[in-house]
Amino acid sequence: MIEPILGSKNAERVLLYLLARNQGYTREIARFWGADPDSVQKQLVRLERGGILDSKSAGKTRIYRFNPRYSFLKEFKALLNKALSFYPQGDQENLLVVRRRPRRKDKPL
Amino acid sequence: MKSISEMTRLELAGFISSAFQKADIDVVLSGGSCVSIYSDEQYVSMDLNFVNAMFTKRNRIKSVMESLGFKEENRYFCHLDTNLLIEFPPGPLGVGEEPVKQVDEIKTKTGILRIISPTDCVKDRLTWYYHDGDIECLRQAILVTKHNAINLKEIERWSKGEGEIEQFKQIRRKLEKKA
Repeated sequence: MIEPILGSKNAERVLLYLLARNQGYTREIARFWGADPDSVQKQLVRLERGGILDSKSAGKTRIYRFNPRYSFLKEFKALLNKALSFYPQGDQENLLVVRRRPRRKDKPL
Repeated sequence: MKSISEMTRLELAGFISSAFQKADIDVVLSGGSCVSIYSDEQYVSMDLNFVNAMFTKRNRIKSVMESLGFKEENRYFCHLDTNLLIEFPPGPLGVGEEPVKQVDEIKTKTGILRIISPTDCVKDRLTWYYHDGDIECLRQAILVTKHNAINLKEIERWSKGEGEIEQFKQIRRKLEKKA
């Protein structure tokens, strides 16, 4: 939707994923969109260097989120929200509906 | 001119800042080193963060830093004669949602340092406290208020704009206390 502004399809995917789920790491974002993890990683690094995202380590995984100190954050999220509203309903629901409750380790289902 | 190994943090920052002014590149010191400078080194930061306010291309920044004897390593610049790492985070020059409206200048023996004001330094530290609950940054903000004249009304106005007026009310007394 806003790929011409962002200059990259995977940048849009990364940003919409983080908008909907607040945080994410390379593999889960790539898996969700069926995208190449290296390309997703490249966009995450680029957006972090630009100050739009920040990240922290959790074990061996680097978790990304929107940088709450980014000066254009509110306006940028408004643009992304509008872009998301143009996606097919199914895609929007898949992005927004995610299990947040804990799941015990080794539970079969 | 002093050698880099003899320079204090403030002098090194002034030295670097002046080199960028000569190259007509807009960088402004922000972050933890401002706390160090504004608290007479009661807080010690190990890096100097110059915000690249106008998104100058990296190769121009690299060229200035190399002319001063610094080498780039993993997005930082380092020099054998100092333990301080120099970084150039991207602009815009802002604190939370607002742009920094006034940049202060400090005259040092090695050049003029362009730096955010003590009041903006407090705001900068409070963004970390407001958004991430970072107590260490709240302590740094308090440290700056103890050593400098701070416009608390301006910080209150700004906190309101950030949607954090309730958090500000809770810390106001800590910010008012003088050493």
